[in-house]
Amino acid sequence: MSLPEDLRDLLNNNPFKGYYKINRLRPPGAVSEKRFMELCIRCARCIEVCPYDSIKRADLYERLQIGTPYVFAEEKACYLCMKCPEVCPTKALDPKVTDKREVKMGKAVIDQELCYNYIYYKEEKKGEVSGKALLCSTCYNACPLMDEAIVMEKFILPVTTEKCVGCGICTEKCPTKPEKAINIIPEGMINKQEAGFFYRKYNIKPAEEMDKKEINKHKKTIERKENISSFGSEPDFEYDFEIQKNIEGWD
Amino acid sequence: MKISFYRRIVQLVVMIGIFMIPLLNILEIYFIKGTFYSIDVGDVAMADPLAVFQSVITSETINTVMLISVIIPLLLAMFFGRVWCSWFCPYHFLVEILQKLRNLLKLKSIKPEYSESLVNRSNRIRLLFLLIGLFITGIAGIPLLNLISAPGIISSQALVLVKFHYFTFEIVFILFLLIMEFFFFYFFWCRLLCPTGIFLSLIDRKKAMKVTKIQPECSMCKSCIKSCPMVINPMNEGNNPLCHNCGICIDSCPDNKKKTHSGLNSIEL
Repeated sequence: MSLPEDLRDLLNNNPFKGYYKINRLRPPGAVSEKRFMELCIRCARCIEVCPYDSIKRADLYERLQIGTPYVFAEEKACYLCMKCPEVCPTKALDPKVTDKREVKMGKAVIDQELCYNYIYYKEEKKGEVSGKALLCSTCYNACPLMDEAIVMEKFILPVTTEKCVGCGICTEKCPTKPEKAINIIPEGMINKQEAGFFYRKYNIKPAEEMDKKEINKHKKTIERKENISSFGSEPDFEYDFEIQKNIEGWD
Repeated sequence: MKISFYRRIVQLVVMIGIFMIPLLNILEIYFIKGTFYSIDVGDVAMADPLAVFQSVITSETINTVMLISVIIPLLLAMFFGRVWCSWFCPYHFLVEILQKLRNLLKLKSIKPEYSESLVNRSNRIRLLFLLIGLFITGIAGIPLLNLISAPGIISSQALVLVKFHYFTFEIVFILFLLIMEFFFFYFFWCRLLCPTGIFLSLIDRKKAMKVTKIQPECSMCKSCIKSCPMVINPMNEGNNPLCHNCGICIDSCPDNKKKTHSGLNSIEL
């Protein structure tokens, strides 16, 4: 880029606002990044009330965003307890957002070349053995909107959908090293070139395309799983073998 | 009892408070939450009027939460003057400690000589600094002056320290200011440049409580001028925007010839 173009870019895009990085998220309920930078007075109340220490105060390496709240998804994701939107004194976090499904922090995208499940699938097809392949499914299991935000394609390949709120739990828990196979692209990232690496490989399903029958089928399983408690009566599953009721020697 | 005694108690409580509030919040007691940019006590919301004002001019919106939260600080400033600075601000407290330390070490005084032109010059510098600051804030479109708001930074750094056990870069700014205060300039940040203080003194132009000389026979010992941290003449400049009603002049007056006079009631001291 030539100098005049650089200058034009600098002056037309306010350098103080709209600075994005992958896996840097605003707390839940945040208004669009430009509005957020106008409204946020850096009072740190959201940081204070966060019971999981997820929200952190941005330091110098975030340039002029220093002092503003950030969730660093790789270190500690947002667990969507929704305590912060209501304490914001300038409504930089919209207090109307109370349901975790309404949150829009970003979108998770999966890098298919790093994800263990994808490697497993490819190797199984080709019949190779690299030692990397693993049936991990951590992101699918950790997702708070299970079977809504991340669905399993062909029962093995995790795919993110449009319902993803971008809480980042999948990124925090993703076991690949040193780079995470699943990353959050913050909401409203303008410069897709910066996110290009992930944008080329991502695969986000529109919500309508999802097979509704399949969701319902999963829902029943999830409901059943949720009802399992370690107290009270045993859940009734069907087994094709006899369960031993008593163990000898035990009272 | 001297005014300074009560003032020290309040300052100490505030100083302990900025560490206690995040501690209580970690224990999930959310009765008091926030920093000196904006704080909630129970359901009473208070916010730094300058922070909210910047937020209003940059975002071009105003909402009820913002309006309600500045009521108490504004009323406080209108009735009691800039008491926020002298009685509550942790930065002012730290600078006072540093100046006490200088006295203990018997270092040469760095306090500038009082003159009327100095007071006028100070007031001009303050106003200009705030206007330029607000202008740059408007251009940048983000509340930039919050980055140099000393009480806000100190309390939020206390929060970061208690919660995450580290400091962020903002503490460097405070340390820089404190070093400058200790070695070179006497109360320069509070006196000349602190945007929060300047904004509050714009509000308190007609404060109800101010220092006045009530006895015409004054020995003119000038001990009040010598003791004043804001380098003004408390005998006839009680209404000056620089005065923050700290009460040091009243304590230092050998004849106790002045009293604090408020529009509502007068307090004998």
